[in-house]
Amino acid sequence: MRINPLLAKEFHQRMRTARAPIVITVYLLGMVVLTFFMLYENVQGQLYLVQPSKSQQVFVLLSLLQMTVVAFLTPAFSAGSVSGERERRTLTVLLTTPLSPFGVLLGKVLSSSALLVLLVVVTLPVYSLVFLFGGAVPQEVLAVLGFQLLTIVVIATICVLFSTIALRSTWSTVFSYGTVGMMMVVFGALGYGLKTLYQQNPIELFTLHWSQFFYALNPLYVEAALQGAVSAKPAIWLTFTEFYAVVILILLIPSLWRLRPQWFARLSVRPSGSEKQYQ
Amino acid sequence: MILTQNLCKKYGRMVAINEMNLSISTGTVFGLVGENGAGKTTALSMLSTLSMPTSGYAYINGYEVSRDPRSVRQSIGYMPDSFGVYDELTVMEYLRFFADCYRVDRRIVKRRAEELLERVNLTEKRHTYVNALSRGMQQRLEIARCLMHDPAVLILDEPASGLDPKSRLEMRGVLQNLRDMGKTILISSHILNELAEVADEVGILRKGSLVVIAAIQVMLQHSSAYRTIWIQGFAPHGVMKRLLSQDQHVLEVCEQPDGWEVLYAGTLAQQAELLQRLVQGGVVVSQFREQPTDIEQLFLRLSAVQEGTW
Repeated sequence: MRINPLLAKEFHQRMRTARAPIVITVYLLGMVVLTFFMLYENVQGQLYLVQPSKSQQVFVLLSLLQMTVVAFLTPAFSAGSVSGERERRTLTVLLTTPLSPFGVLLGKVLSSSALLVLLVVVTLPVYSLVFLFGGAVPQEVLAVLGFQLLTIVVIATICVLFSTIALRSTWSTVFSYGTVGMMMVVFGALGYGLKTLYQQNPIELFTLHWSQFFYALNPLYVEAALQGAVSAKPAIWLTFTEFYAVVILILLIPSLWRLRPQWFARLSVRPSGSEKQYQ
Repeated sequence: MILTQNLCKKYGRMVAINEMNLSISTGTVFGLVGENGAGKTTALSMLSTLSMPTSGYAYINGYEVSRDPRSVRQSIGYMPDSFGVYDELTVMEYLRFFADCYRVDRRIVKRRAEELLERVNLTEKRHTYVNALSRGMQQRLEIARCLMHDPAVLILDEPASGLDPKSRLEMRGVLQNLRDMGKTILISSHILNELAEVADEVGILRKGSLVVIAAIQVMLQHSSAYRTIWIQGFAPHGVMKRLLSQDQHVLEVCEQPDGWEVLYAGTLAQQAELLQRLVQGGVVVSQFREQPTDIEQLFLRLSAVQEGTW
């Protein structure tokens, strides 16, 4: 089996520079120092009275922090992936190879999320320190890790699709960060706002329903729910996955149009201008 | 090997390619010549599956470009007129990446890359980063890239554009080398002379229509058999035109504000006789000289003279 050539090329390109190991090392050191201080705060220099609930708080805080960091880092790697190829004028050649548009998109998604996946995986031993003090079980850590990886792939896919649709990297970056902002802040705020409304008027059940829906679209809330830190429906992550799968499918259509307008030639809708503008 | 039947491309009301009929047999190097905006790039982008014909058909290696684009892509090596490169790869990695895109057998990739680098004179640069190569070298690397999957057809859109004279010469050498490989090659250029040494046949594209197709040898013979003469002199009204039109070797007379441009098909001795007759006819000749012949212009003029449309 062959690895997607774009993934192999970009991972190779990215990992041979000093920047990638430096980013990973600095990030890891930051997480280690933070974890150490938080755990030290928990034990206060003594090991007779360890509070597992505080250890749980450390775990929740660390994972939420990591989720925020990776969510905002992902567009930096993926928002210019296809538009960058277009701007460098390498996309035309790529599209005359037998590599399909799906292959191009998949390669871009995997290559732009690869470093972030690595960042998340290398912090796993740091999380494991929490086990020493109780409060978290391995299944919880694995669930959090899995959800973080899922979020990275979701954000990377959305950003790559935006970079295919928008002809310029500037616009795709704006759309990508806008989307991450919606996911991380706006949906959370909407969920919180509607829940507050419900608490004031418990009769308005629809506000509770919509509050839960918006919370389910917020990665921080879903992650906290997976750790049992907040109350939520049992399969909240499933709502998250379904919603963003629909978003990705919707964005996929104009993306494919940009890459292979010929595929849509049988429809009465034809792209305006020359195909070369998109390629 | 390359066949087009009434191939058309329209952008709204604008006709970019109008009923192009072309047949290029295996192993032929075909030059597509036309000024900027004539439709060369549009024609090549349809043949390389980047854009879809509005009507008509195009076949590459037996595969129709609209119906079987995947097989067409596997059969062609396409070099666009303006292209970018992956700067952060070395020359060897660059070729290997494209070999992977074409699923070339890994066991032969290194050997083929070495062979092609030798062919395009880049062997010494195989471990150099692509961004450290000059424009001319990058263009030769692109040709090597086009050949990595050993395609039957090469489509090169202005491969020598933007190059300095030295790099143009090197590129011409590479193109002659490709010709020896027996590939079917379609090259576009806006300068016919550039293709004279590499192409077997040439087609002239004008405002989206293929106006002339001829063997390059025929074109070159025409360029030596016909010449443009510039005559400047003083003569009573109508005398010059009468004397010139009496000469059976004069194909065309074009009166300019300060002289006459004559398309002439005679020998040098006959040309001297023409001068003599003009002087004897009372024309005070101040200039009588042969102008450098642009083969493309000449050919277009001859076709127009034949059709009576010039």
